[in-house]
Amino acid sequence: MKLEYVLFGFGILFCVAGVGYLAAEYVKYLSEVGKLVSLLLTVGMFASLGKYLEGLGW
Amino acid sequence: MATKRRNLFLYLTLVCFFCLIAIFIVDGYMGIYDTIHITAGEREQEIEPDVWLRQDRFWSAGVNWGEKAFFRYELANRQFSSYTADIEVSVWRMQEKLLDVLSQPIVVAPFDEGQLEWVIDTTELLPEDIPPEQSYEYTVLIKRGEIERNIIVYINPTPYLPKPAPVPPR
Repeated sequence: MKLEYVLFGFGILFCVAGVGYLAAEYVKYLSEVGKLVSLLLTVGMFASLGKYLEGLGW
Repeated sequence: MATKRRNLFLYLTLVCFFCLIAIFIVDGYMGIYDTIHITAGEREQEIEPDVWLRQDRFWSAGVNWGEKAFFRYELANRQFSSYTADIEVSVWRMQEKLLDVLSQPIVVAPFDEGQLEWVIDTTELLPEDIPPEQSYEYTVLIKRGEIERNIIVYINPTPYLPKPAPVPPR
């Protein structure tokens, strides 16, 4: 079970790092609509992730 | 039931994540991007595509009096189809066209780059009757189809050197 948590942790870290890298590289080229949708999706992603982790008992 | 609900949030997270990546790729990476390099004197300036996306309508570059400015226009085609456009470069001052520098089509293959180069010689532009201590400005207009890029070329004046006073006759 603990190993699962470690793997989940790594997965989350890689996801955040990946999105962070893409954001740093390409966010300046995004259109205004693209920036807004990205922001909403980011909020949605972290909210869903939070609910999922809450369900796991974190 | 609780597991199903929990998994639903996991799937939602993944959907949001992949949609984010798709937006970065489609909206942020794909498209046509132009970069302009200006070399004047010993300095090279790079005008990146995001400068124009920030809705700055002008970019200013300085050239010394009597020197040349070397322009390199790079066009990156990040699309699945080839890109064709007519590039027109001209020099303007006070809403009046002074010089046609370049007019030629460019074809860029998918996910490739094309480039054009030209030189603007300040001695060809400056009027003969103005002293070198006076600064001057021109607008270099780069037209790619409907898209316009304005670069203001500021001609730096040469420092005023006082002439030696004539020696009075003895």
